Amino acid sequence: MQPFRLHGTRILEVDLRGGSVRAATGSMIAYDGDVTFKNAGMGGGDGLRAALKRRATGESIALMQCSGTGVVRFAKDAMEVLLVELAGDTLRAESERLLALSDGLSTDVAFAGLRGASSGQGLFTTTVSGHGVAALLSAGGPPIALEVSPQYPLVVDPDAFIASQGQLNQTFVTDVSWRTLVGEGSGEAFSLRFDGKGVVYIQPEER
Amino acid sequence: MSTPPTPLSPDTLPDNDNVPGNHYAYCVRLDGRLFMQTGRMIAYYPGPGGQPIRFEPLSSASIGGMVATRFSAPLYTRDWVVATGAGHLILGDRGYDINSYDLDDGNLTLRASNLLAFDETLELKQSIVPGFLTLIGTGKFLASSSGPVIFAEPPIRVDPQALVGWADCPSPSHHYDATWMTGFLHSAMGFLGSNSGEERQFDFTGAGTVLLQSSESGVHDPHLLRQLESQIGGLGTPGLQHLQGVIAQQLARER
Repeated sequence: MQPFRLHGTRILEVDLRGGSVRAATGSMIAYDGDVTFKNAGMGGGDGLRAALKRRATGESIALMQCSGTGVVRFAKDAMEVLLVELAGDTLRAESERLLALSDGLSTDVAFAGLRGASSGQGLFTTTVSGHGVAALLSAGGPPIALEVSPQYPLVVDPDAFIASQGQLNQTFVTDVSWRTLVGEGSGEAFSLRFDGKGVVYIQPEER
Repeated sequence: MSTPPTPLSPDTLPDNDNVPGNHYAYCVRLDGRLFMQTGRMIAYYPGPGGQPIRFEPLSSASIGGMVATRFSAPLYTRDWVVATGAGHLILGDRGYDINSYDLDDGNLTLRASNLLAFDETLELKQSIVPGFLTLIGTGKFLASSSGPVIFAEPPIRVDPQALVGWADCPSPSHHYDATWMTGFLHSAMGFLGSNSGEERQFDFTGAGTVLLQSSESGVHDPHLLRQLESQIGGLGTPGLQHLQGVIAQQLARER
């Protein structure tokens, strides 16, 4: 595993040390040493089955494989970077909020319920699993981590959702009435409810 | 590697303050009702009993009577909801700084797009200045700004885009730069485009406080258009025809 570290809060630095890392296409801002960049392929480097699933679900992901020796710096739209460590567990993330994945992590697509049908955030979510570090992005300010426990369920705006981790049960809450249709909705027609035990990461900006 | 932020829970979230280390998100300890701009909820923990917080449009029958006495800004009704219930409600506003203010038997006018939420104890009215709303009474409200808010005292002239709002002092008047006015009177410069970009300011006088934001990039306000629209009714046919000409000219220039 390559050491992931932050330079400030918006730039991710990865020391490759002969290994490789997968990152969002076009997110490299600078590097030194001898590094090659190549498109990770249709499925973001997770094989044909994942690629077809992504194709079918629209939860697209554009990743590049960076390998060699040296330090590579990644950033995207001046968004804040959040590092999440995975020890064999699974992270559910919004695909467009993925910045980089260390070696040893793989991605897949999971059905996430009828999430965010209004905002085009898709019915599916990207899962990241394995051992390693995932770098995620937060728009509009630093990410906020919120704990979910049996005592404290959590409701989140799908447009502010970045990722969730742990034993969580995700349900889709609708608040659609005839008022929504005439443009006098509550503004929160679709939301995500999390029950169980885990952590949910959100960003201060609604997409 | 740096560690991710410590997860917060209702036990550690602040009651009515910014989320720790985050100027861009604010946690309201809701117990009752709160007027808020549509769609600004980013997350909430339901209170004891697990009852969800309800977000009701202002036209909703169950709150209609209360709204009618508190909210007299018809142009803006569709952009506001009333949050009802109990719990920790986290608000975000497009990545702008969020701050809370207390109003104590006073009145304060804010740019409509900068006003994020306010207590039901306050009364909201449409300001006579287009695009601004006035809060009257005692209570708390939340305002968002592009960069931190700066407080200044009149007499002061401010750039319209940097203005967030004002309290206690009389409504501002327009001030035009003297050289620009001279040019305007000789009908030369103003039309030949020799503008500094600072020829028009808001002029504040009297005693009070003026709130400014540190960035001139204003928050986009879709209401301003509606407000202007609502005012063209009194123009009559000749006025409307003239306006059409002005708009066509402006459009041609911007292309």
